[in-house]
Amino acid sequence: MNCFEARQDFRSFWRKELSAERRGAFVAHLAECAKCDAAFRTFALTAPVFHSDVEPARPMLLAARVPAAARREGRAYREPRRVQAWLSIAAVVALFITGASAAYISVETPDETLSEAIHQPSQFVEVVSADFPQANSDFGQ
Amino acid sequence: MRMASLALARRFRWSAAVRPDEELIADALGGQTEAFSELSLRHRQRVERLCQRFFSDQEIARDLAQEAFLKAFAALATYRAEMPFGAWLRAIVVNVCYDELRRRKRRPEELVGDFSEPELGWMQLVSTATPEELVAEAEERRESHDLAHRLLDSLKPEDRMVLVLKDSEDLGVAEIAAMMGWSEAKVKIRAFRARQVLRKQAERMMSAGRARVAK
Repeated sequence: MNCFEARQDFRSFWRKELSAERRGAFVAHLAECAKCDAAFRTFALTAPVFHSDVEPARPMLLAARVPAAARREGRAYREPRRVQAWLSIAAVVALFITGASAAYISVETPDETLSEAIHQPSQFVEVVSADFPQANSDFGQ
Repeated sequence: MRMASLALARRFRWSAAVRPDEELIADALGGQTEAFSELSLRHRQRVERLCQRFFSDQEIARDLAQEAFLKAFAALATYRAEMPFGAWLRAIVVNVCYDELRRRKRRPEELVGDFSEPELGWMQLVSTATPEELVAEAEERRESHDLAHRLLDSLKPEDRMVLVLKDSEDLGVAEIAAMMGWSEAKVKIRAFRARQVLRKQAERMMSAGRARVAK
């Protein structure tokens, strides 16, 4: 086998499509030809994507490995409970209703109307006379 | 009742004659969507495999395959029987993947970034193992695929496209030119340059791996 033939066979060798005899000749050529050997090693770097029909499974992540290992060992493993989204929303709504009700009950509703409240004389308002300020007030000392 | 009959039909499908693609396409165009489902099932594995040659993430590959089927369904009326359905579908898949490759940012700097222990182990094997050991190990090791994708990710989308279509899908220069809308000369030049760049990047990656092992 010469170099040209060997390089033509790279793909067939990777896909295991060569006959046993041709395969042996290919391996023997690579063993004695450093250039073809180096070219095959470069080819091998991309061949898994270009020339393989199956991809090996990706190793499981730790998060997935722990429950799997627990199950293998026969230990009771309980899946973490997932709180449903609607449950959270219901809790927030219930909290809001309770708070609003408590606020409504605690505030006393006055019996008088707004206009009565305005026109009623207030105990906090002092009606002063024309000789303002008075001598005994804070302003007229 | 209908479900039971469908299940029964599925179970004994081996006894029924396989309907040709063209017949299923005609049914799908006539409004029978289940005919297109059967077409999709028939071609799904090849389509996903082609997407995986461009993207290492299997979820992305699946999404792109689905997108390609949706586009094929939408454009089914434009299909002409002069071309096999598989080849027509492949052109759609290639365009979907090409668009996605162009959308993504190329990161050549990651080529010589951090290597995991299994990746370093695979690189050492590539340097030292016999050809037959390499083939056997590549089938078992996920990192052989990851590193290959990393190497290919450093290429320009056009270069990667040409290499996949030429080397992996066994397409001729004329077919690639027609599919990509390029001239045949451009395909040849692209393929030549892509191989040169790939060789250089492979050397760069291997020397970075050797330096990491030596530390």
